[in-house]
Amino acid sequence: MSDVILELANVEASYGPVQALRGVSLSVFKGKIVTVLGANGAGKSTILKTISGIIDPSKGQIRFESEEIQKRDPDWIVRRGIGHVPEGREVFALLTVEENLRMGAYTRSDADGIASDIETVYGYFPILRERARQEAGKLSGGQQQMLAISRALLSRPKLMLMDEPSLGLSPLLTQEIFRIIVRINREKGTTILLVEQNANMALEVADYGYVLEVGRIVMEDTCKRLLEKEDVQEFYLGMKAQGVRGQRRWKKKKQWR
Amino acid sequence: MEEEKAMEMSASANHADTVPRMFWHGVKTRAAKTIFRQKDFGIWQAVTWDELGRIAREIGMGLASLGYAPGEVVSILSNTNKEWMAADLGALGAAGVVNGIYPTDAPIQVEYLLFDSGSVYAFVEDEEQLDKVLEVRDRMPGLRKIVVFDMEGLHELNDPQVMSLDALRALGREHDAAHPGEWERRIGLRKPEDLAILCYTSGTTGKPKGAMISHGNIMATCAAYQALFPQDENDERMAFLPLCHIAERVGGEYHALYTGAVLNFVENPETVPENVREIAPTVFTAVPRVWEKFYSGVLIRLKEAGALQQSAYKVAIAIGYRQAKLREERKPVPAGLAFAFWLARLLVLNNVRKAIGVHRSKILITAAAPIAPDLVRWYMALGLEMLEAWGQTESCGAVTGNPRGGVKPGSIGPMMPPSEVKLSPEGELLVRGPGVFMGYLHQPEKTAETIADGWLHTGDVGKVDAEGYFYITDRMKDIIITAGGKNITPSEIENQLKFSPYITDAVVIGEKRPYLTALVMIDHENVEKYAQDNAIPFSNYASLCRRPEIQELIQGEIERVNKTFARVEQLKKFRLIEQKLTAEDEELTPTMKLKRRLVNDKYKALIDSMYMKEAA
Repeated sequence: MSDVILELANVEASYGPVQALRGVSLSVFKGKIVTVLGANGAGKSTILKTISGIIDPSKGQIRFESEEIQKRDPDWIVRRGIGHVPEGREVFALLTVEENLRMGAYTRSDADGIASDIETVYGYFPILRERARQEAGKLSGGQQQMLAISRALLSRPKLMLMDEPSLGLSPLLTQEIFRIIVRINREKGTTILLVEQNANMALEVADYGYVLEVGRIVMEDTCKRLLEKEDVQEFYLGMKAQGVRGQRRWKKKKQWR
Repeated sequence: MEEEKAMEMSASANHADTVPRMFWHGVKTRAAKTIFRQKDFGIWQAVTWDELGRIAREIGMGLASLGYAPGEVVSILSNTNKEWMAADLGALGAAGVVNGIYPTDAPIQVEYLLFDSGSVYAFVEDEEQLDKVLEVRDRMPGLRKIVVFDMEGLHELNDPQVMSLDALRALGREHDAAHPGEWERRIGLRKPEDLAILCYTSGTTGKPKGAMISHGNIMATCAAYQALFPQDENDERMAFLPLCHIAERVGGEYHALYTGAVLNFVENPETVPENVREIAPTVFTAVPRVWEKFYSGVLIRLKEAGALQQSAYKVAIAIGYRQAKLREERKPVPAGLAFAFWLARLLVLNNVRKAIGVHRSKILITAAAPIAPDLVRWYMALGLEMLEAWGQTESCGAVTGNPRGGVKPGSIGPMMPPSEVKLSPEGELLVRGPGVFMGYLHQPEKTAETIADGWLHTGDVGKVDAEGYFYITDRMKDIIITAGGKNITPSEIENQLKFSPYITDAVVIGEKRPYLTALVMIDHENVEKYAQDNAIPFSNYASLCRRPEIQELIQGEIERVNKTFARVEQLKKFRLIEQKLTAEDEELTPTMKLKRRLVNDKYKALIDSMYMKEAA
């Protein structure tokens, strides 16, 4: 399958004695948006960190364009074409917006290309042009998120890892961010692996989805079909069949089918 | 007068002839001793006989205050827990009849059971179970009140038909104060021949049937159990099988009341292994599935252990097997071997026992389903006594059992006096004795089919050896006759398959077919581990089942089993059930066994695919 850009096989990862990933295998197809859904602590962020080399897997392989990349240094992986938009933005607070963007282009030396890419991201997020000389720490949460995405784009990634871009954002801003994510995917052909708690949003924009529970994948399917699954509806979309009393607090057992 | 007599009877030693009298006698004599434990916020909390007596009395008197008449039926819809037992004893003490409903049952089944049993009160565990009853109560004119154990999330509920267990107990206290002597009177009302409990049989064919069990049935069974599985107030037991099932109800709850052994209610079905390790029961009854799980758990952990530990285990268990074999053959164990075994236990096997939580167990009892003889031998090799017993709801539980010091793996043991067991000319096991039930509720024809000429027809086919040990070969209706006319007993093959750590359950198919095949349910945990260890990528359960490497793994297990059978009994093909089944699924019994008939129908297409011509 030549169009698989990223493949995880039997990946296990731990934080000290705590095993976060208990054998995860998944495939991301080129040019698609793939999402990983899961509750707090399911291991979603760990998957992204393991891919971008921040954490080394204790077992398993990660193949990017058919090349094994596990246990490589993060900067090597960035150069290889994987950009990471971390959870909680992590912009350089004391640097200006533009300096942040240039940090994203750290691995590149084509000044013209960088300049044109900065123009492109200003096109996506005009507010960043306005704030170009401002310290990133003084931006609002939504603007920081835009900056974090832009910074990742500056490395011209083939694959972007996005960790909860909607975190802490208003519904309106969330929609805007997601619109741009789709636009980046369509216009630049950038493949996106998206981790989200906002399942509604993620399933709407993504093509394919995996559901992660305590370090294991319990379900995978096209997002269209995932939306129809009873368990996804109840546990991720907050839709519940109404009980006889018009309310229901108890949760049924998860079966993932 | 009546009252005095009742008191006198309930005070007479352990020869009480009804459950309420036995219970109340225990409350009087064992007052401050512990009857059971259950965890509360993570800590095991003991309840004394006195406390249980008080709670049950409040429940019983609460029912009485609502107008509960002797002989009326209440149903309990809850997981196995202390409230279940208290409600059971409260209702029985108030001279009532108690029916248990599986908490995994769907509303439609709950409706049938409430209706068929004629329940006037329903005890439900919590909001989830309450909703099931509320959904069907419109069609249940006879149901007067629903009593909820756990009111979490329901405090704002304002429904005249629903009340909390606490509210019922408050009613009971008032009623008790206003009617002194009424509780004692009710305790004495029921007679041994009176109906005590209803146990609905799972009913793989047609509607479930309500087996009527009398007080006399229960008391006789408790006495017989005590002779074979002796225990007392110093013993610790686990309670985790469904209390609606005769095994836990009589073998667990009532036998504990009879002997004073302490019951320990597990937190939930998932925490059984953990809770067992915490309690370290001295007498431990479980179903084969649990024993299989412990065994495969040890095997899997061993694979992770170092080479030294692995070879130490190999040596130690080999010594254990040698000693167990001599015991099985009733030969003396030479001093050298006994010493070697002592050493093997000290250095290795005790750790294995501890890892399971059976290091203090004097006896392990296995029942409710057939167990692989090799599994029994493994526990015997650890130096444990595993006693297989056999019976059914209609015989009020076990009527045969292996005695201590005389276990024959593969046998269900000799009959347990005073019950008599014999073979019919067709090889069916027939039972006669004080445990044989009163019949099926509202179904005299079915009763007449089951009890004929004074003998209970069990439907199990078997044989008996010279020493009176019985062996079950199969359920009469399960015997497969292949297209070639060969009679096959599927459970023998299935038991061998289940012995594999990678197979949880299997159903052998072949009725009127040219060859035998099987549907296999994998052991999720162990197969997943195998996949991880061997770098076999998979995502979810179904994709795991579809991996060619996993198909090969199971194929290997099938071939291993095939070697032990004659050609016609060998499995030619198999399919995995790709959906992870849970207790809520109709394919499984509450004890997590695959239902043969249902599986045969439901997976017909999958089964047919094993009989297609390859070329097509």
